[in-house]
Amino acid sequence: MPNVVEARSLSLSYNKEHTVIEKANFNIRKGEFVFITGPSGSGKSTLLKSLYGSIKANSGLLKVGGLELKNATTSKIQELRTHLGIIFQDYKLVNEWSVAKNVALPLMIAGYSMDLQQTQVQRLLKHVKLSEYANRYPYELSGGEQQRVGVARALAKNPMMILADEPTGNLDDYSSNVIWDLLENACVQLQTTVVVVTHKIPMVFSLPYRHLILENKGVYEVH
Amino acid sequence: MKSIKNHLMFILPLIAILLGIEFFLIFERLTDAYEEKLKNSYTMLAVSEKELTIKDFQAINSNIASSIKVERNEILKEISAGQKPEDVEEILNSLPNFYNLKLAKYLDTQGIEKLKKQLMASGKIKKVETFESSYSSNYKLFKFIKFILNLFILFMGIVSLFLVIKQMEVWGYIHKERMQVMEIFGAPLMLRSGILFRVAFLDAIISTFIIAGIFLFFSYYGVNVGGIDIVEQNSKLLFLPLDGAILFLSALFIVLISVYSVVISSKEKDI
Repeated sequence: MPNVVEARSLSLSYNKEHTVIEKANFNIRKGEFVFITGPSGSGKSTLLKSLYGSIKANSGLLKVGGLELKNATTSKIQELRTHLGIIFQDYKLVNEWSVAKNVALPLMIAGYSMDLQQTQVQRLLKHVKLSEYANRYPYELSGGEQQRVGVARALAKNPMMILADEPTGNLDDYSSNVIWDLLENACVQLQTTVVVVTHKIPMVFSLPYRHLILENKGVYEVH
Repeated sequence: MKSIKNHLMFILPLIAILLGIEFFLIFERLTDAYEEKLKNSYTMLAVSEKELTIKDFQAINSNIASSIKVERNEILKEISAGQKPEDVEEILNSLPNFYNLKLAKYLDTQGIEKLKKQLMASGKIKKVETFESSYSSNYKLFKFIKFILNLFILFMGIVSLFLVIKQMEVWGYIHKERMQVMEIFGAPLMLRSGILFRVAFLDAIISTFIIAGIFLFFSYYGVNVGGIDIVEQNSKLLFLPLDGAILFLSALFIVLISVYSVVISSKEKDI
């Protein structure tokens, strides 16, 4: 399988001063499900942000979907992001938009017709079992339901890779399991690469997927 | 309701700025009209030994538009009452040439003084009467009022600009989350800030229409300003078609700067 992510001697920092990752080397292949764990402040979220071009590498090489991010133009990064699905711990739904409109966001950006958007949104909401919630607003939903909307939005354009930052961090066990099932399905059935940042270590060991751990500014494989 | 309030909070200071711009334009035009009126009604008197043509005067100073010779017989009638015919003949022979001079453009007191000096220095003119005190006193008062009004316009503009910026901060707060989420998902600038541009464009049009409508009304139906001739006689100057374009472009410039400031401040740095 080809690499979706390729990192060579990658160094990252936040606030331009605080280096969290130094000279890291790793690859993520198409269709892989990868957990990234590590203690607080180890740079998990920084690494995830760098994968969608929100943080630039200090040095080294970082390629996502074949695009070298360090010197990529804004429009190239915008283009890359239309091929990614991003899930946040705090959902980041637009509160003044209905559930359907939130899910349709990536389709709207890609310029899909209204009819096609509607068809896709109905299919996605059915997939995350929220068909009846299409016309509700995010603030009318529970945390678990909001995150299912977030997953539906991430899946909307059948992305090359899903990046999830603590997707179950605010959820109870039942809602968390629903989210894991949805992400696993995306990976297994659609061959979508899924990268999940989480601090829930026991859960990571219970699932048969690849595990990268961030420690002492390095990125290590856990076997 | 909230949306109307948000519009009004932006439209009202924008209207205040446009009002200031329109007042400025009107006063510039009224000043021109007033200067034209002063210039047309103003005449200076020049006295010379020899007969002079307009070219002779213009060679001395190009601001002289015309010279009208005062008929000597007319002057003679005034001063020769009761004189003997031979004395009248003598007076006529010794009378110099009197000329009423009109100006090509309005000159202020210094300009008039300079012109007078040039005429006297030419050697062709014996005496110049400028009647300067009645000429300049009204104009100075007018200029002073204009200066005060411009200061007020400037002050009003600055206060309104602060109100616009404040409202922009509110807009920034309202739209920040949505624009950041859209940016994360790869939406280009025009898509994520499209709604802001549309709203701001609409507000610019509404503000322009309100100000243009008010002044258009006054320019057609006249305005009673307590007998100030220069305004009442020039009510058509209260609004010209070009003003509409100037107002709209000014409003557009302000809203574009405002929207860009919101867009720039809502970059995804906090996500």
